[in-house]
Amino acid sequence: MQQSTPPAAKPEVEKPKPPTPPAELQEREIATMDAAALIRILTDAGSPEFQKAKACQRAGELGAVEAVPAMAALLKDERLNTYARYGLEPISHPSADEALRSALTQLKGNLLIGVIASIGKRRDAKATPALAKMMYAGDANVASAAASALGQIGDAAAAKELQAALKKTQGLTKMAVADGLLACAEHLLAEGNREQALGLYVFLSAPELPRPARLGAMAAIIREETRVGRPR
Amino acid sequence: MVDANIMTTRRQILKSAVAPMIVPSLVLGQRAGAVPPSDKIIFGGIGIGARGAHVLSKILDFETARFVAICDVRNERRETIKSTVDQKYGDRGCEMYDDQFELLARADIDAVLIATGDRWHTPLAIIAAQHGKDVYCEKPCSMSMEESWALADAFQRYNRLYQAGCQRRNGANFQLCKELLKAGALGQLHTMYANVGPSVNWPPLPSRDWLAAEELPPKQVLDWDRWLGPAPWRPYNSSYVRGGWRNYYDFHGGGILEWGSHTVDLCHWAAGLDDTQPVEYEPVGGNTGPYQVLCKYANGVKLVMRDDGWDGSLKTGSCSFRLEGDQGWVETGDATKIECSDNIRPLLRPTEAASLALVNHVGDLIRSIKSREQPQASAAAAANSHIACHAAFIAFQRGKTLAWDPAKREFTNDDVANRMRSRALREPWRV
Repeated sequence: MQQSTPPAAKPEVEKPKPPTPPAELQEREIATMDAAALIRILTDAGSPEFQKAKACQRAGELGAVEAVPAMAALLKDERLNTYARYGLEPISHPSADEALRSALTQLKGNLLIGVIASIGKRRDAKATPALAKMMYAGDANVASAAASALGQIGDAAAAKELQAALKKTQGLTKMAVADGLLACAEHLLAEGNREQALGLYVFLSAPELPRPARLGAMAAIIREETRVGRPR
Repeated sequence: MVDANIMTTRRQILKSAVAPMIVPSLVLGQRAGAVPPSDKIIFGGIGIGARGAHVLSKILDFETARFVAICDVRNERRETIKSTVDQKYGDRGCEMYDDQFELLARADIDAVLIATGDRWHTPLAIIAAQHGKDVYCEKPCSMSMEESWALADAFQRYNRLYQAGCQRRNGANFQLCKELLKAGALGQLHTMYANVGPSVNWPPLPSRDWLAAEELPPKQVLDWDRWLGPAPWRPYNSSYVRGGWRNYYDFHGGGILEWGSHTVDLCHWAAGLDDTQPVEYEPVGGNTGPYQVLCKYANGVKLVMRDDGWDGSLKTGSCSFRLEGDQGWVETGDATKIECSDNIRPLLRPTEAASLALVNHVGDLIRSIKSREQPQASAAAAANSHIACHAAFIAFQRGKTLAWDPAKREFTNDDVANRMRSRALREPWRV
């Protein structure tokens, strides 16, 4: 019988320790601040961007309605825009909707796209007219974001705007419009508007539409028409 | 009562899992959304680091698959993956991209392997579905509850197939445990344990700090803006790019999501709870561990997410899970060893090596693409197991017991927790 030789012990290789955040980039007391203290950070022109970023996150989680104006002012900041939206998105108060809608006319490019995404997430139907116009924007990314937001809003008015846009848009924007319509159909189904939803799916099954959306619509029709227990 | 046919059933499962049976779609008949009949499933890859390269190596071993394109924001990774693929196939056919939309626009690509950092997983998977692609995506699959819902919605919307990288669902030792539960050998299931440790390396609460700014490398070496992607802006530090992004909140969901996406997912799968989430989450312990989150499902079954060290206290290996019924218990992990109560021991048998789980899992997706049947770790299943992890993570952050309504998708006893269900994505990304 062969004797097995134990493998030689591997020398321990010490992994380099991960770097430590410097003191000025540590969240520390911001994690427990109240709304008043957070607003002081957000409105102080001398506050470092790290502190403002963390203050936005904390304010959003707290639901600090008082901090909405201060966070809205950061929507135009290239670096802090996302943090401002992190703060604004979960605050279920009309002032947050108003701040985001107001920013639609003040921003361009990616900053505008971010705000559009936040409006869609909040399903703010009052933004529908503005978003509908944006689907025809020269910036295809803005147009696509607007179509997606309308899909998230997902009511009959949004669906009507998206249907109109489907015939007038091209490329990635057309894909986003079709995606928005699929999302609308899902909202309508969830709310019990089955016939309207099926109408949208039939509309999206036309051969000239983007193939992924068309196949999605056809699959949805099959799924709905074969669903066990559906009222007939 | 134990099912007398358990061995036969197990062999049948193993036979089909180890030797992937690819039935040509020509035979099955093409349906709406099906991949057109062809000899090979054509794959592309996005963001292939060390883990992704491991998955890729399994894809390359399937004769029924062909990998044709790599997209990465890191030049070095693009070159490395192209070299690996070209060497395997003996040609120069693997194309390189730094823009995912260019790769996804290729009509010849059927499926995409996504193995970026966590922040990219959901947005990229959804974009891939919108382009008509099926997806294999590494875990954790989402950064928030909202992303989990969006992921499941998108894959249903486009009738595409999604395989989360939860390969243990196709691992023989894990399958045997599930089979024992299903056959009634454990009796009535009352408690499941999912190892989410070790907290010494993977604390439940990631840091919200930033690292110090370093000089940005040239864009052709690393595109920092693209690397950040949907994550909020922060100054560049090379540690993030070398894998040090983990344990930072803006990039990572902490230890509960990191390991729960492995083991909570196993519990859901084994117990047939792929379509729901626990309704209660009670955090116990501190961030330095050991800690637990005690969860309860609507049907009364308990789920204990616990920091049980790297290999588990029973040394069953990493990513261990345990099922306890009123007649017996069983526990296993990546070491493939199965520990159990004495009455279960006669029902055990040797299982295949743990490494085969990934082979089986990739084969499962390839089979699914051909048949258009859902693979083991679908988007909906992954969404539900991830939502459980996100809820536990939020409970840990809040330091209190949270009640959750899966149907209403809301916590019923904490407004702050409800505001933590989603995260804003950096423009222009969205889900």
